[in-house]
Amino acid sequence: MSVDDGDVTSWSLRAESVTLGYGGEPVVRELSLDIPHGGLTVVIGPNGCGKSTVLKSLARVVRPTSGRVVLHGVELSRYRGKAVARRLALLPQSPVTPERITVRQLVGRGRYPHHTLLRQWSESDDAAVAEALERVGLTEEAHRPVSELSGGQRQRAWFALVLAQGTDIVLLDEPTTFLDIAHQFEVLELCARMHREGRTVVAVLHDLNQAARYATHLVVMDGGRVVAQGPPSEVLRAELVTEVFGLACDVVPDPHAGTPMVIPMPGALGPVS
Amino acid sequence: MTASSTRTATLRLGSVVAVPFRWRSVVVGALLLVATLVSAVATIALGPLGVPLESFPAILTGELDRQTLFALERLSGPRLVVAVGTGLALGIAGALFQSVARNPLGSPDVIGVGAGAGAGAALVALLLPGSLPVPVGAVLGGFVAVGLVYLATGSGFRHPGRLIIAGIGVAALSTALTQYVVFAVARDRSSVLSAYLNGSLSARSWEHALTVWLCLALILPAVALLAGRVAITEMGDEVSDGLGAEPNRTRTWAVVLSVLLSAAAVSVAGPIAFVALTAPNIAKRLSRAAGPNLVLAGLTGGLLLVLADLVAQHSPIGDRLPVGVFTMGLGGAYLGYLLILEWRKGTL
Repeated sequence: MSVDDGDVTSWSLRAESVTLGYGGEPVVRELSLDIPHGGLTVVIGPNGCGKSTVLKSLARVVRPTSGRVVLHGVELSRYRGKAVARRLALLPQSPVTPERITVRQLVGRGRYPHHTLLRQWSESDDAAVAEALERVGLTEEAHRPVSELSGGQRQRAWFALVLAQGTDIVLLDEPTTFLDIAHQFEVLELCARMHREGRTVVAVLHDLNQAARYATHLVVMDGGRVVAQGPPSEVLRAELVTEVFGLACDVVPDPHAGTPMVIPMPGALGPVS
Repeated sequence: MTASSTRTATLRLGSVVAVPFRWRSVVVGALLLVATLVSAVATIALGPLGVPLESFPAILTGELDRQTLFALERLSGPRLVVAVGTGLALGIAGALFQSVARNPLGSPDVIGVGAGAGAGAALVALLLPGSLPVPVGAVLGGFVAVGLVYLATGSGFRHPGRLIIAGIGVAALSTALTQYVVFAVARDRSSVLSAYLNGSLSARSWEHALTVWLCLALILPAVALLAGRVAITEMGDEVSDGLGAEPNRTRTWAVVLSVLLSAAAVSVAGPIAFVALTAPNIAKRLSRAAGPNLVLAGLTGGLLLVLADLVAQHSPIGDRLPVGVFTMGLGGAYLGYLLILEWRKGTL
């Protein structure tokens, strides 16, 4: 599937033939990708396919060695640091929780891009933090240290930080990792709600069925390239899953949502020796 | 933890300035100031040349007899002012470095910056007198040390374990260089030796006091500008990059300012050990606040050094030991405690 040149209104963020790496051999070569405006884009692919690297390049955490990333029609590298952070938020896979920090303080740090040297806290910051805590259901825990929270609560606190940042675009790197199944769905529902409220959401996920159920736009990556993209019902076919993940499977409609559901075949990977 | 201990308020000046603060931190800061003041009064009042407490009002009005005035103006006064300034510089230097290293052991005195600055100062002052001002020698020595540590770890300042091991090597090299310089030039002057090896506050002049406070006046505004970013950087490079806090640039600046502050302290008092390590940790424990706690770390550093010097001047165990020997003894024990703590947490 090729990447079409959409007009500026249909996408807010795009990578134009970016080559990405961490100093050695590039992980991603000349990849182009449009993030549909107002969509919930989910990126899937096998381990090491470069999906997290692409996400980081969209947030300017990894800078392309060639090519460029364009945000609202302007090259990302031409924005000042805080200016990007007022338009685009990133929740990385393993953020560091500072010692002794309370939930409210953590969420408050999401307001950093809105502060100036003299004006470091305002009533709008208070309002944004209170609203973000309310959204993720942590108002009661506001004054507790983050280190005392459960895994699910902690991830919700980081989500609240991203919400408090107040950006139109939210990038999430494997937000469900390390959570049990119920908390995974809690996080996915939060993603869906951010999307319904008008934000452009991009998430890297591992679980194909969760990706299919929540995505409005599914991007499949393999070996540093985009191999397919589009609505999940069109993209997620058995042949593709077999080719990309090396897993023989059936794809059937999800009995609840009607979205494609991947069912691995018995002995799909051959006998385990 | 109760809600009241974490309560915050916002300081507003008109509609332009709005800075959040925590009540607990304000109270801790005030208590540290009072404790420093009490220790300062004790420093001035104690000893055979001390100013008796009933003469204190006369200090303010300037009606002291000549002998007391001499003791205050030439001996205890400058020494005290140097102690507070040096402690402040060391405390803030430690807090900055520990924050960007994300480890309480990533402190300039543990990783050899103090020893490097000491070697630079000794080289310039004793072996090549008149070539460069002593503080410049200290700054150069500090940067050479931090550069060597950076290169030796192979991973910058990211891995605390490597940072400490490389730092021990660099500190030993620096101390050996200092010893060589001191023995080559001043082998018969033991006071010079101890000042350059351990750090000392004896025989400080107003010139020393001016040097350290002038350095503070120049460096601290830059620290204030950087403070917000430093706090953000504690959440990891990816989060802080995402928030627009530019972690690499922030880390570089924090290390530069930390080395400058350490060098300022070393150039007036020698490489006083472990104040930079202990002050930020004590400040954090007292305030229970997240973030680098720069102001409280500075105040704690000032108090620690004034207290250590008070003990050094009036200790019954050794007659006028250099203050660095005391901080070395106390801080060394604290370092051991921290090493065990970090090892148990698995961060080393």
